[in-house]
Amino acid sequence: MTASYLVRRLGHAFLVIFVVSLIAFQLGEVIGDPVTAILGLEAPESARVELREELGLDAPYVVRYAAYIADAFTGDFGMSYKAQRPVADVIVERVPATFELAMVALIISLSVGIPLGVVAAIWRETWWASALMTVSIIGVSLPTFVIGILLIFAFSVNLGWLPSFGRGDTVMIGGWSTGLLTPSGLAALIMPAISLAISQVALVARLVRAEMLEVLRMDYIRFARARGIKDRVVHFRHALRNTLLPIITVSGIQIGYLIAFAVVVEQVFQWPGLGTMFLSALTESDIPVITAFLVLIACVFATINLIVDLLYAMADPRVRLSKG
Amino acid sequence: MKKLSLRTLLSVAIAATLPFSAAAETLKYAGSTAPLTFDPHATNDFLTTAIARQTYESLVELGPNMELIPGLATAWDYKGDATWRLTLREGVEFHDGTLMTAEDVAFSILRQSTSRRYKSLFGQITAANVVDDMTVDIVTSAPDAVMPVKLSRLFVMSKAWADTNGVLDVPDLGSDSTEAYSLRHANGTGPMILEEQIPGEKTTFVKNDGWWGTFSGNVDRAEYTAIGSAPTRLAALLSGEVDLITDVPLQDIERIESTDGFAVVEGPQRLFMELEMDGTRDIALATYDKEGNPLEANPFKDVRVRKAIALAVDSEAIVERVMRGHAKALSMPSAPGFYGYPEDMDVRQPVDYEQAKALLAEAGYPDGFATTLNCPLERYVNAEEICRASASLLARIGIDVSVNAMVWPEFAKMLVNGPDSSFHLIGAAGNSGDVQDTFAAVLHTRDTESGLGQQNWAMWSSPALDDTFAELVSSFDPEKRTELYRQGLKIAQDEQHAVYLHQPFITWAMDDVVNATVRADSAVVLSDVTVAE
Repeated sequence: MTASYLVRRLGHAFLVIFVVSLIAFQLGEVIGDPVTAILGLEAPESARVELREELGLDAPYVVRYAAYIADAFTGDFGMSYKAQRPVADVIVERVPATFELAMVALIISLSVGIPLGVVAAIWRETWWASALMTVSIIGVSLPTFVIGILLIFAFSVNLGWLPSFGRGDTVMIGGWSTGLLTPSGLAALIMPAISLAISQVALVARLVRAEMLEVLRMDYIRFARARGIKDRVVHFRHALRNTLLPIITVSGIQIGYLIAFAVVVEQVFQWPGLGTMFLSALTESDIPVITAFLVLIACVFATINLIVDLLYAMADPRVRLSKG
Repeated sequence: MKKLSLRTLLSVAIAATLPFSAAAETLKYAGSTAPLTFDPHATNDFLTTAIARQTYESLVELGPNMELIPGLATAWDYKGDATWRLTLREGVEFHDGTLMTAEDVAFSILRQSTSRRYKSLFGQITAANVVDDMTVDIVTSAPDAVMPVKLSRLFVMSKAWADTNGVLDVPDLGSDSTEAYSLRHANGTGPMILEEQIPGEKTTFVKNDGWWGTFSGNVDRAEYTAIGSAPTRLAALLSGEVDLITDVPLQDIERIESTDGFAVVEGPQRLFMELEMDGTRDIALATYDKEGNPLEANPFKDVRVRKAIALAVDSEAIVERVMRGHAKALSMPSAPGFYGYPEDMDVRQPVDYEQAKALLAEAGYPDGFATTLNCPLERYVNAEEICRASASLLARIGIDVSVNAMVWPEFAKMLVNGPDSSFHLIGAAGNSGDVQDTFAAVLHTRDTESGLGQQNWAMWSSPALDDTFAELVSSFDPEKRTELYRQGLKIAQDEQHAVYLHQPFITWAMDDVVNATVRADSAVVLSDVTVAE
């Protein structure tokens, strides 16, 4: 049973990636014209025709798509029109920045969001618990870039404590450039991570609260209380544990979201990650970069979903047995 | 890894900010986009060129007011037979210490002229002949009087260096699948040596002590960072993380000027904004009568309609309101900073709605008509607002304009693969900055074969202008040329080739300790920048 479950899940993942790659490749046809993006407005017709031929843009869609996928499997995503470098290089060197930002934001959102949610659930009838939840709505609804700009003007311009842009100094460990080991790298990480985490904090808090309230109404909690077990033990050993299961799923999806939606935060803080790369590729119609980024994000989401599904199946045998 | 408390994080953060205040003679500056490559022949992006220009020098240099001054060539003479003779500067060294020779110059001329991105500018060059160590002849397929102006965009690279590093040919997107060495390495002769180029992030220069020229500034190290988001760029300046920013949004200018310790400087950009009107089609695109039925005619072809539109679009008001005064209103397809711009002729006709309406009636549109104005969303300062303002001004004479705003890639595609527009806003210049090139690229009748009128997106056509251009190309006498420039621009004004709006300004903001002058090509000339202690 487990094997066929795995195969089915893998099949789903590949289907998603395939469909996204088709759409992403098609996008290249719609937004702008690669030749114009490369040569600008001033090139004569003859130069355009030559370049179009050389890039193989005259071939039918299916042929180009097949060639693209075949190359992609060997790790060759073509050359970026604007950067004039292999797309794979451009992406690989930008993954660490985005990954570190997303992970730190995730840690912040969980370590602040879970306690908040628990507190709000346990003391749900107090005025400050509902005030907390009201504030969290503001957190969800404030656009990320507004938070980012407010932080910059408070902590960079007025107080001069934190850098307003960039990633500070980085250290190379193997092929991975990390900003976590230098003072300036850590300083640069604070505001982007907080801006990215804020809406997620509110989300996690509300989710934990709702889930916890649900659990607290369960019979076994009542029985536990009836047996005279201390509130603290009931809340944190019995209730919280069971609350956390759905949070695993959500955190998984969250990583995907944090990576994909780091775009806005990265742009605001000029964070040298995938987001700024994607945005500048969009404005310059650098199609190979756009396509590769979208496919990459699809892969990230598909992989995370796959892992979450498998973890779930491990945690709860009923999932394995059902049709999935 | 060590566990971090909030307190350690904060102290770390404070420590990290300390170096910001200690700016000696290092200039940290930021702009909206990063230089794409340091191969000056592999890009025609003007921001990239403005930065690469600190490392690579051109044969003819540009002075602060865009006048031509000797660069790596000390003299240029036309010797007939479509040949220009260049006398090279002696004793110029590349950054690797080798001496610049005529071989390097001839190599660079040919390398750049074969670059696909420079076909419009240098495609006519057929040979670069080494006459002796310090003399090179440039031969073109037809006589070219504006070659010296064009040479201000021709950059000299070391041939031996290019050979060693496998970049004798301009890197090519189609056949290459690796990064060219010249993308992040450079070996020019300029005042600054490229220390490090991290694509998309940061560029670092150090002073070239062996430079042949004289440094009027005191910068011995410069760091350029791209900061795409305008508020962040401004914040970086105000917090002291950078000393100078280029591309300042208009709405922030007042704020910076009113902040102690900061200054805003601006200068004219070599660009003019205009509304182009279809001069060829018999039936204009997306144009209707007042009832909404497609119009079976092209009103824009009628010079009276063109005049009426020009009389109604109040460019002074647009400069004042939309551009907040940071532009210069124009009346011709040229502007200060172009070679051949006749200032005395640049006189705008006053706005006159009555006369405009009368002209429309005379042309057979007493009730006006409806049309579509294609408008790029970015690329030009406040482009969309300019279009909306023009539309509301035209409504006053009965022309209903719906603005079709689109992102730049889409807009560019519409022009290049068509051109499929009968009425649009665009910024134009021509290729070199000489009015002759503006005629060639923007005003000449569109001809795919010869490449003339290649940027004439509205397909305007005037036999009189084409004749003037033909005469201009083969005239080498300065007086005669001045006369022909004036004649051509007069034709453009009389036949109302387009509605001329304004010349935008380039705006930089800087810390008071920095002294830098804005140049029309947007280049921060590092050798002239002073940073006070």
